[in-house]
Amino acid sequence: MSRALVPAVVVTLFIVGVQLVVLTNLRVAGVVVMAVWLWPLAVGLSGSTALGVVVAGVGGLCVDAHAITPFGLTAVVGGLVAWAAARLGREGVGDLESAAWWVTPILGGIVGLLAPALYVVLGAVVLNFSLWRGSVLDAMWVNAIAFAVFARPFARLGRAVTRLAPAMRR
Amino acid sequence: MASDRAKRRAWTLGVSATLAATLLYLTVGVESGLRSAINLVVSPFSWTVSEIARPVGHLFAGAINYSDVVAQNQRLRYELGKAQTALNQTWAMQRQLQQLTTQLHVPFVGSLPVVAAQVTTLAPTSFAATVDISVGRDNGVLAGMPVVANGGLVGTVISTTPHGSTVRLITDANSAIGVTYKNSSTSIVVSGHGLNNAMGASAVSLTSSIRPGTVLFTDGLSGGLYPLGLPVARVTNVNLTPGATTYDVGVTPTADLTNLFYVDVVLWEPST
Repeated sequence: MSRALVPAVVVTLFIVGVQLVVLTNLRVAGVVVMAVWLWPLAVGLSGSTALGVVVAGVGGLCVDAHAITPFGLTAVVGGLVAWAAARLGREGVGDLESAAWWVTPILGGIVGLLAPALYVVLGAVVLNFSLWRGSVLDAMWVNAIAFAVFARPFARLGRAVTRLAPAMRR
Repeated sequence: MASDRAKRRAWTLGVSATLAATLLYLTVGVESGLRSAINLVVSPFSWTVSEIARPVGHLFAGAINYSDVVAQNQRLRYELGKAQTALNQTWAMQRQLQQLTTQLHVPFVGSLPVVAAQVTTLAPTSFAATVDISVGRDNGVLAGMPVVANGGLVGTVISTTPHGSTVRLITDANSAIGVTYKNSSTSIVVSGHGLNNAMGASAVSLTSSIRPGTVLFTDGLSGGLYPLGLPVARVTNVNLTPGATTYDVGVTPTADLTNLFYVDVVLWEPST
């Protein structure tokens, strides 16, 4: 993990930069694509639970620092995505070489669909009941499509980063 | 063995989730400082991405001098918005005169100073309608101050740093504004329903003269959050559900919130 941590955090910070500078202005149907959730998914699918949770935490907190929504909520959702993806990754699901080509995009689509809903539900847990009044359904389908499209490129990037920490996958 | 490991994992996850939930509550007090520190770390990366993304975007736009045209367009929109705001406030000035003569002493925005600001960042998620602007406490901006642009009220400052502020837009789901309209003696509350959804007002009396096209202004009630006479929204539809005793009113902001580049912060505090 120590070898992969620094590059993973640096890549995460660049993804946060893309999230804040590019994706917030490049809205689809008024919705922001949450790259900071796709990245933990990609890292998680490579089997690295700890690294996935770390990048989810760093990316999520950085985005939350710019939002008025509950602080840490994006990080928690990213962390859960990373944890679930890592469980699948350890079983070889979503592996770019051994699994079918469509598995990773399908997983990305499912996560993109569920993550905004999870965000709203967890928001209610921390007593913020206004999140559902936004455009949750729009956020779900837009993120599902975007995650499906970009899941493989992100997974390749995630694999490249986590290869720096072979011991961590066990 | 495997089940022990699974149990340990479940415990770890449970403890982590509990800690995270606790942190969400505990960090409220130190949240502001934490946000500033994180912004400090992220800003070089955002700057780098911005520097890379901007020329690429311009390249795709394919026009020579595109940046200048965009900047000029933004300035023009700002000027046009100011002119529209001034025009929309005419009736409020007349009303203010009447109120002054009756010695109500209600402050009027036309006489209040403003600070111009540039919009630096839009909300990074789809779950809140906010923008960050380039002026903060060092410029006299405080939480609670109204923000106007492009022909009307844009939102309210909700947090400040020395050099920046966050503005909650009037379309945010947590936004509620007391408004009135010409020839009306009553107030109604206009609420935001999220960035992509229309705003609305409910429980509008059947005796009101509200019609599509009616412009709604802040009511400036004593102790209210806004000064009198800021244009907020224009009525788009007035619905009466069968059996209901009040109107449901759909409204659209008078300010163009999709093209926010420059705004004015009105240096007016709710307590004044």
